Amino acid sequence: MSARRIVLTSGKGGVGKTTTTANLGAVLAKRGHRVVLVDADIGLRNLDLVLGVEKRIVFDIVEVVEGRCQLRQALIKDKRLENLSILPAAQTRDKTAISELQMADVVTQLGELCDYVLIDCPAGIEHGFRNAIAGASEAIVVTTPEVSAIRDADRVIGKLHERGLPVRLIVNRLRPEMVRSGDMLSVEDVTDILSAELLGIIPEDEEVIDTTNKGEPIVLQAESRLAAIYDKIARRLEGDLVPFTTLRAPGFFGRLFGKAS
Amino acid sequence: MIQREEAPAVSAVPRKRGRAIVVTSGKGGVGKTTTTANTGAALAATGATVVLVDADVGLRNLDIVMGLEARVRHHVLDVLEGKATLEDALVTDKRVPALRLLAAAQTRDKDDVDTLAFRDLISSLRERFDYVLIDCPAGIEKGFANAIAGADEAIIVCTPEVSAVRDADRVVGLLGDERTIKLIVNRLRPSMVRRGKMLSVDDVNAILRLPLLGVITDAPDVIISTNRGEPVALDAASPVGASYREIAQRIIGTLTTPPVVPRDQSFLEKLFGSRS
Repeated sequence: MSARRIVLTSGKGGVGKTTTTANLGAVLAKRGHRVVLVDADIGLRNLDLVLGVEKRIVFDIVEVVEGRCQLRQALIKDKRLENLSILPAAQTRDKTAISELQMADVVTQLGELCDYVLIDCPAGIEHGFRNAIAGASEAIVVTTPEVSAIRDADRVIGKLHERGLPVRLIVNRLRPEMVRSGDMLSVEDVTDILSAELLGIIPEDEEVIDTTNKGEPIVLQAESRLAAIYDKIARRLEGDLVPFTTLRAPGFFGRLFGKAS
Repeated sequence: MIQREEAPAVSAVPRKRGRAIVVTSGKGGVGKTTTTANTGAALAATGATVVLVDADVGLRNLDIVMGLEARVRHHVLDVLEGKATLEDALVTDKRVPALRLLAAAQTRDKDDVDTLAFRDLISSLRERFDYVLIDCPAGIEKGFANAIAGADEAIIVCTPEVSAVRDADRVVGLLGDERTIKLIVNRLRPSMVRRGKMLSVDDVNAILRLPLLGVITDAPDVIISTNRGEPVALDAASPVGASYREIAQRIIGTLTTPPVVPRDQSFLEKLFGSRS
């Protein structure tokens, strides 16, 4: 059976694509799946930092494509989770170093080696975006409850639908107290605007900044509440029906946007 | 007999050229658009003429952050393609009349923008405004190349995160030596720095080594003001707004002291009062 090939994208940068890729990959690996994470952000790679493997990079995806090494040589095995590997991006090259076809080919080959390929897409909708979605069979759009992030997500979802990719949504960095005070969009507001199935809701947690800086995905801390949340997301990906803990708030921004959709 | 030449309609003395400053970062979501909007609003509030240019073709957001999305009729590509005059495309801010916005196209791609034509557009804006602030898209692709083409100054926005610092470092390299580059450290949480859970401004600048233009603390009122389309820089009561106003003064040159790095008081200092 061939692997699930999932691209994590957003349009807007800094909403948590890389952090989500790392944590979701780690939690899927913990659940026994073989997982390969692909950093598609050539020139501005960061997935290696978030996983703490930056000093172990020997080869990168551009070198694989250029035939300078075998695909397996470029994969870095995580030291904490034996099922988890990462294929790093090149740092000193740019996105045009790889074509969409080459990228799709690499992702297909990776699919032979594992159960889940998660592709960390760069911000924007340029060449790097087109590459990142080229080999994917489904997409997760990560967004934050901010007007600008949602507008960008909407544009990206349109592009993913054009490609016929199924899209599911993760709402990241929710601050329930701000939703309650009417200063932040609620998850309901977000899903009303974006036509995509909800996969997960992740609250803002300042620990994430620290764990990201240290290269330790937060899901590795068993006692973290985010570990439980990512575990639920992984189970939903596997096909389980896992109920959401809902948050409701008066829709200040809902009124702003209208509820036409 | 020598006929006297007619006086030209426009002063023959060339107008002092405005400054073109690109706001960039490499990494997305660190606050480029918010910084552009607030710095621009603070500059215009001093009486300078300012135009904000959204270079994020396809994923524009500056109009939303300025609360001007309903007023955008034409965009950068309309101007470049001759479908609208610059005058038609410039949106006047509803609060500060000296502030204008030139919006990006939302349904087009960065590849549709000719880098040299964009550079020329910035050049002509510099003839008309004291400050041209260019909001750069995330990444280092075509959109980045367009955004930096006409700018001879750059503001790097960086958050105290390892990934943001690494991306900023790459961008500093790409900006080259011919541009003046200054740094704004955004979203600092002094309490986390004190607990050793976040990089300090010194940590960030040990790597980037840039002149510090400002430090902005992470405050919920920035998210609120951004969502509402009201730049916090215009809120006289907001401490973050004051930080943006200081940044504007440093750009103009009326403030020469370096930014004070906000620090969190320790428990004992809170009890006994700070000595600093």
